[in-house]
Amino acid sequence: MAPRPLEITDLLWSFDAGGQPVAVAKAAVVGRLTALGQRRAARIVSAFPAPDGILDPGYVAALGLRVHCELQRLGEELQFARRVAALLSPIVGTIRLHGPGPVRIVDVGCGLGFVLRAMAASSALGAGVELVGVDLNPFLIAEASRLAEQEGLACRFEQGDAFGPELAVQDGARCVIISSGFVHHLPEPGLPEFFAAQARLRVAAFAHWDIAPCLWSTFGAWVYHYARMREPVSRHDGVLSARRAYSAARLQMAAQTGAPGYGIQVMEGSHWHPRALDVLRPVVGTLL
Amino acid sequence: MTPAVAVTLLALALLDGALAGFRASLGRTGLINHRKSDYQAARRGTGLAGVLLTPVITAACIGLLAHPALLGQYARAGKAMLEVYGPYALLMLTALAFYTALNWRLKYLASALILGPFTLLRPVITILGGALGLAQANDPAVAVLAGLSVIAVLMVEPLAGRVWYARN
Repeated sequence: MAPRPLEITDLLWSFDAGGQPVAVAKAAVVGRLTALGQRRAARIVSAFPAPDGILDPGYVAALGLRVHCELQRLGEELQFARRVAALLSPIVGTIRLHGPGPVRIVDVGCGLGFVLRAMAASSALGAGVELVGVDLNPFLIAEASRLAEQEGLACRFEQGDAFGPELAVQDGARCVIISSGFVHHLPEPGLPEFFAAQARLRVAAFAHWDIAPCLWSTFGAWVYHYARMREPVSRHDGVLSARRAYSAARLQMAAQTGAPGYGIQVMEGSHWHPRALDVLRPVVGTLL
Repeated sequence: MTPAVAVTLLALALLDGALAGFRASLGRTGLINHRKSDYQAARRGTGLAGVLLTPVITAACIGLLAHPALLGQYARAGKAMLEVYGPYALLMLTALAFYTALNWRLKYLASALILGPFTLLRPVITILGGALGLAQANDPAVAVLAGLSVIAVLMVEPLAGRVWYARN
């Protein structure tokens, strides 16, 4: 099987066990992309400033923020936070029936935390819901926290690994773990463990939205990322993410393997016509 | 150029400027509530389009005062441009109306089917209208002004982005 192509943003940041950024050599990034035949991606990275061969951390951090701000724009246009809230609302309602206390929504790989901040701004899930975002990238977490504070939104963000969500989960029975546009960043062998990490915490449910791969979604991603995005990295990674996304069958199998105690459903429709409204579809797991 | 054609073209250019300014501002701050800055961006885009088109309009006025016989050339070029820009504007305004009117679950349809793809095609359509205007103008001065107006319109979004919204 041919190796999966890489997104540029997957290679620009590296963090040590303590969550601190590690220097990334430009030649190494360009080399990996070239080896995979991704010449355009290699050209994009070649233009990045790299004093002494190390990618300029300030430049890369600022680039990451710009890329995520652009991504947020697409999410807004898609009404994505509302779609997430619409799916979560009955799940949260069911958890509330089991007893008093807050319900927690944990967004892993949250980036700038757009989904959580938008849900906090609209109070879409009602009172008594805690919104916690987790991301490995400390720059994104700092910016998400700053934005939430600036707009007075009731949500918080912590630096952490999507494979270790326990840092944000106190009571699994009253917690739902979500992500959006994140799962395709994981290597395929790691998928079952991603779901297993959530199953071990006995969370009430999980719901992970990602692109449904098909010809339509790749074409749509191309049109949209060239119409709406400015950064070459956003355009490259946006289109590639549609190509790299996992099929419903793979997600179903990975979720069933990693979280056997959960009822799993990939909420995906037909591929034979463009599915403009469910560009991102969730794999949903509910504790049986 | 009849006043109606001139006024319609100018109105479309300013409307396009407003939307270009709006697009230039989007996806910059990460804030959830950005309605105020959206309106500000639209105002900036309109103003910038006006500023960029002022030399073209001034030159056309001076040219017409000096050579009133060129009025027919301007009219032909303007009408040719309007034949391209008019339907495009109508399509986009209809899609915007649908986007506003549809409920939140469906409004992305207007974006996915019309607003997104046709924003991608906007430079091509702008150049096509200018080329038709240019082809209709038998006078070099009219042709140059048609070309400059296209350049002015296409410059609004990148210039607004660079002047007001660049983030390093």
